[in-house]
Amino acid sequence: MAGLSLKNVKKVYENDVVSVQDFNLEVRDKEFLVLVGPSGCGKSTTLRMIAGLEDITEGDLYIGDKRVNDIAPKDRDIAMVFQNYALYPHMNVYDNMAFSLKLRKMKKQEIKTRVDRAAGILGLENYLSRKPKALSGGQRQRVALGRAIVRDAEVFLMDEPLSNLDAKLRVQMRAEIQKLHQRLQTTTVYVTHDQTEAMTMATRLVVMKDGLIQQVGSPKEVYEKPNNVFVGGFIGSPPMNFFLGHLQGEHFIVGDEKIRVPEGKLKTLRAQDYDGKDVILGIRPEDIHDEPLFIDSSADTKIRATVDVAELMGAEIILYSSIGGQNFIARVDARYGTEAGQPIDLAFDLSKAHFFDAASELRIH
Amino acid sequence: MIDRLRKIYPSLLLYGEDIDTLDSDYKWFSDEENTRVLGIHESELAPKDIALLSAFLLPHNAKFPLPTKEEKQWQQAIRSAETPPGSENRISAPFRFTYFSFNKNQITPVFFKAALQELFEKQILILWDSETEGILVEKKEAADDGVSYGQIVDLLMSDLYVKIRFFSGPFRQSTEAVHAYYRTVKNTAVKVFAHSDKAAMTYADAVPHLMVAAASKELRQEIGQTVLQEYISDRETLEMIEVLVRCNLNISESAKELHLHRNSLQYRLDRFSEKTGIDIRQFHQAMAVYLALLAKRQGGQQHPPGNLHEDGG
Ligand SMILES: Nc1ncnc2c1ncn2[C@@H]1O[C@H](COP(=O)(O)OP(=O)(O)O)[C@@H](O)[C@H]1O
Ligand SMILES: [Mg+2]
Repeated sequence: MAGLSLKNVKKVYENDVVSVQDFNLEVRDKEFLVLVGPSGCGKSTTLRMIAGLEDITEGDLYIGDKRVNDIAPKDRDIAMVFQNYALYPHMNVYDNMAFSLKLRKMKKQEIKTRVDRAAGILGLENYLSRKPKALSGGQRQRVALGRAIVRDAEVFLMDEPLSNLDAKLRVQMRAEIQKLHQRLQTTTVYVTHDQTEAMTMATRLVVMKDGLIQQVGSPKEVYEKPNNVFVGGFIGSPPMNFFLGHLQGEHFIVGDEKIRVPEGKLKTLRAQDYDGKDVILGIRPEDIHDEPLFIDSSADTKIRATVDVAELMGAEIILYSSIGGQNFIARVDARYGTEAGQPIDLAFDLSKAHFFDAASELRIH
Repeated sequence: MIDRLRKIYPSLLLYGEDIDTLDSDYKWFSDEENTRVLGIHESELAPKDIALLSAFLLPHNAKFPLPTKEEKQWQQAIRSAETPPGSENRISAPFRFTYFSFNKNQITPVFFKAALQELFEKQILILWDSETEGILVEKKEAADDGVSYGQIVDLLMSDLYVKIRFFSGPFRQSTEAVHAYYRTVKNTAVKVFAHSDKAAMTYADAVPHLMVAAASKELRQEIGQTVLQEYISDRETLEMIEVLVRCNLNISESAKELHLHRNSLQYRLDRFSEKTGIDIRQFHQAMAVYLALLAKRQGGQQHPPGNLHEDGG
């Protein structure tokens, strides 16, 4: 088993596109690390550099303690799974899994041992003689995983392996891949643009934007302490709300609303000279409340707003509203029966909110 | 000659007659025209023998698979403007050429052909240009099992650790001017791969890139600036445009791919329309915006004119 380490890695493509830069990351042995970010942010490029399919323009890549920049992909001891989990249509499941080993002239007996073991892990024992056409989507995806497992590699690299599946199957396969990881404990780097997928699967996640790492941390850390406005807005669904306003005395002022800032946060803001200045308030939809009890006890963070749209989602209602011309979303309990069109009271739980610098958009802490 | 050699080297095998694969325990030689390839077991060959045989036979380059008769005829057809002699000719239409290239030192042609063959029912035809590029000749047949080139790219990437790109020319209904067609496909592929990061493309996909590349640098900048205005360096909006075009201007599908709510995408399109007066939901306006986007992407560069006229040989 092995960890990975990327030091000051940069990728510039032939057409001068800077795809990834200042990339510093330690992937720990046995961890399930997820690279997440909007499409075009450089996730696949990073993964392909690790695989050796793409040259590294600058910087160093280590697998274990060996620098592998100049090592051919096939000699890096990695196995890959991609979005298009195509299989060889004319081969049965066994041969599909065995093929890359055969090409490498591995002994028949060794191939059989490995394929049988992978099939066992994936519950494919009874399908080995079937052709891909006779398999369900989930089974095909499992064969694709099997093709990686038989390699017995030190590191798994997966690039959006589930994004071609329908929603239900995707959720199911997420769980399967996690189980697989628990069992094999192979160091895995997993790429997705889907923040829900990243949050549910990752031991740690790396949030990327425009070729730069925005934050590295456990799902909980990244959710609770986003480094900047981008991370706050990208991780979590519905996304974090942001209000541009300014700090005046003990209050955050947005539109006609005055929201009291708790003592601890106020101290931090003042210490960094934000008094009287523009700041961005970030608050998650679930931290905006409409329960009378909460509102009664939070008179100084109460606002009045008109609900534009109320979407009933079972036990919850998603409210779309605005203050001072700035839109926000609240996720509230359905039992209070809030409807669109009414002006209502809402209270912000400021203890869970964050402030960000208005210019740099970095979290103030 | 073969019979006489066989007396000296009893292990001698003729490729295509005695054996169908190039066994690596044999040393392989071919005659000048590459019509006959023979192998002799290494145990029968002292260094002196090899030197002697090499004097009148060519050591066969085992990195390349041996060309079949049909491949040789296609080779001839793409090398010269004249059509090869009739009776034996197996070249036939409809067909198309798909150009491919992969990175150096990732895989040998023999490996590549073996793996690719597994994806097709019929014997595949490959015309090699070098160790890392060539042309796949495809005959039009009733729909195959439908493995797309996009899928093949991912499959070979995970199986063979090779990053490969495909570029398919349009289907041709006749075998006339194969030579010119070959050059068009190859030159276009080389050119368009410099501008696009897609691994599998067709000639039709390439057309907008080609048109934009042929425009002067000034025109590219002007179009980019005039159409996109303040959005010219807004990565998110450019991404949105690209996805919309790829999804046939279908809002739901695009929103899904951009992981946006449908309404948010709608809202962004309205904003874009307010600011620029362009409604991307209309096909011809989308086309203009897409061309402007490509112009912006290619904007800063001057293209070496050499690429256009490079000889495919
Ligand atoms: N082969 C390539 N040639 C030129 N540019 C590329 C190539 N591959 C990717 N890019 C560019 O690099 C950036 C990052 O792409 P990618 O790594 O595919 O992002 P992601 O996987 O996060 O969607 C994008 O701007 C993309 O257009
Ligand atoms: Mg990607």
